[in-house]
Amino acid sequence: MSEIEFPTPIPEIANPLTAPGRALGRDPFDDLAGPNPLEEQLDQLEARQADGSLAQRRVLKPTAKQAAIQEVTAKQPAIEKVTANPPVIGKAAARPTPATQSTTRQPVARPEDALPSRDNLARLSQRRWATTPPLAEIELPPAKGLADRLLNPNERRVLASLAHLVEGDAPYDRFGYSPEAMKTTFPFFHALYRLYFRVRSEGHEHILDEGPVVLAGNHGGLLPFDAAMAIIDVALHTDPPRLVRAIVDRWAGSLPWINIFYARVGQVVGTRENFAKLLDDGQLLLVFPEGIDGMRKTISHRYRLQNFRVGFIEHALRARTPIVPVAFIGSDDQSPILFDVKPLARRMGIPVAPITPTFPWLGPLGLLPYPVSYRIIYGEPLRYHERFGPEAADDSRLVRYLANQVRRTVQLLIDRNRK
Amino acid sequence: MTNILVTHADEPIGRRVVKNLYHDPDVEVIFALGSGPPPRKFDAYLAGNDPRVTYTRLDLAKHRPIRDLFHSAPFRTAEIDTVVYVPRHGAGASAAAVPLIGGLAERTAESRLLLQHCLETHTIRNLVAIGSAFVYRLPPGNANHLNEDSELNLDPNVMPEIRSWIDCDMIFHSEVHNDRLRVVLLRVPTVVAAGGYVYLHPSLAGRPGVRVRTLGFDPICALVSDKDVARAVRAATKTPVSGIFNIAGGEAVPLSMLARWTGHRSLPVPGPLLGMLDLGERVLGIESRLGAGGGAQLRYGFTLNTDRAAAELGFRSQYRIGLARAGDGALRLETASV
Repeated sequence: MSEIEFPTPIPEIANPLTAPGRALGRDPFDDLAGPNPLEEQLDQLEARQADGSLAQRRVLKPTAKQAAIQEVTAKQPAIEKVTANPPVIGKAAARPTPATQSTTRQPVARPEDALPSRDNLARLSQRRWATTPPLAEIELPPAKGLADRLLNPNERRVLASLAHLVEGDAPYDRFGYSPEAMKTTFPFFHALYRLYFRVRSEGHEHILDEGPVVLAGNHGGLLPFDAAMAIIDVALHTDPPRLVRAIVDRWAGSLPWINIFYARVGQVVGTRENFAKLLDDGQLLLVFPEGIDGMRKTISHRYRLQNFRVGFIEHALRARTPIVPVAFIGSDDQSPILFDVKPLARRMGIPVAPITPTFPWLGPLGLLPYPVSYRIIYGEPLRYHERFGPEAADDSRLVRYLANQVRRTVQLLIDRNRK
Repeated sequence: MTNILVTHADEPIGRRVVKNLYHDPDVEVIFALGSGPPPRKFDAYLAGNDPRVTYTRLDLAKHRPIRDLFHSAPFRTAEIDTVVYVPRHGAGASAAAVPLIGGLAERTAESRLLLQHCLETHTIRNLVAIGSAFVYRLPPGNANHLNEDSELNLDPNVMPEIRSWIDCDMIFHSEVHNDRLRVVLLRVPTVVAAGGYVYLHPSLAGRPGVRVRTLGFDPICALVSDKDVARAVRAATKTPVSGIFNIAGGEAVPLSMLARWTGHRSLPVPGPLLGMLDLGERVLGIESRLGAGGGAQLRYGFTLNTDRAAAELGFRSQYRIGLARAGDGALRLETASV
């Protein structure tokens, strides 16, 4: 009876944390002092892998794509695997890396390799990403209206710059974003940002100046103030200013008035087509891969990430987009849920029926967040697309694995910064 | 050289298509069909001993007239090789919105008969049909981006007008991969013509008046100029591709704003009341368009991904849509070339 031969495992998949290529993105905690909470598990993993038992159990059957990756990695000397240019498969090789894209201020033309090879497509190749002008280039119009008087010149410049996301003099963009609505609501949320939540943030340098980026963070609180704070924070700390397009749940899109408000301030319902289009336009997306599960965490599970959805990984791979992990600290404390009455929620058709220290005792006022201090930490971009290419989006096991990697990274960001 | 048959040429979009094709040097003969008398604008086209444009009155939804046409001597002499199906959309389509012919909506009967005769007529190689983008199932949200692969609305309770669009869409879709007949289906959103006229919108088409929308919702409406639609049709007749293509302009505005621009009064009504209004209209057999089916199009908006049309048809929108002050000083919705 012949022995079953297991295929050689992909180094990163068999052992993601010690793989030489670091293809799954640089671990943001490598440079930090202090013990790595996963070190112990890692040692165990390596020890078991040395005797082959774990390697045989955990190895995934390689697809054709993965086999190609193995071939490429096997041919390259080890020293090359840690360079800034990891092996790229297929069409990905022809595309400039986001790092090079971010160095230029000019709008970047989309790569021709993504386009059908027809003569009449020349105009398509000139398509440009949605960009905003740098603050220094903004000529500030005279202040008029209450909103202008409540903001300082720099913040008005930010809003004027974000207005360039709408083409020409049209009042709305294709997703219903209205610069006027943004201007009207900005002072209120800015006051929350500065005075109520007292937001502190770090790591803005990881957000590219232009081009598609997916921010993936933890979700908490009954009302999505974490997204609102991220919008204000990114707009104030990037130059050229970038508008965060948070992906909201479909349920929110069916709520009267809420759906209009979300759309007018640039938020988009999370359908596949919307997600792909936004990345295609080079926009900055914020996703909460936990979904509704993140919102309905009870107080005993706060800051413990729930399962991540995988759609954002697929789209990021297809659109060759880096993923920036984001940790929101404070969001899980703003409305601590003591109990979630799930039968009631199901009966009412709402995602969560919470019992908090203030809700439902104070009525709707009980839903308002407590004045907790917020911290937002942006981690280093995870450039899975450079390693695996867009074809990897069809490999469901790899996509699930990468989603778990993002989850792990966000969890580490939270754990490190909560202390 | 191409010989083209255009249906419903007496209606606004049909007229625009005929005009656009008339100025195309590659088009030799235009066989225009319509249910009413020829438009006055056709006088110049129809003048002369040997005009390039021929106009025929015909009921496209009935089998006998259309059969007689396809077997008539003038039709055979013209050697039509391309058929452009412009659906009925003018005043006749808005009143009593979907008359049934043999159990089928008029629009469905027309497209079924036309496709059948195109398949049976060997000279015809190309069929370009204008469909509606309201066939898509709209997910919740103020504005959703839709592409050609997005899901169709197969809800059995969809309003009859949209149902007829979906039926037409599926009829043409079924022959997209036909080897002999090249079928191109253009899905267009709300069509805006100069002067502020709106076509193919389930609730805004027709004469200005009171229109309702769901309270708390103001969906984004994708717009396209009638001139751009005619350009897209022309592009589709020239390009050797078949398939389904979204056609849209660059503008997208909320329903309330579009209603205001087009002289309608937009009345927000709570959703449950709107449902009751719609039910009452159905029970009483009234087609007032007031309720407009109370469907998703009054709550959820959409814009269209036109990348495929740009890539394969070479179509890019050239007309902007917006308010402009007309000669009489009044602000009207106009289209202008960029």
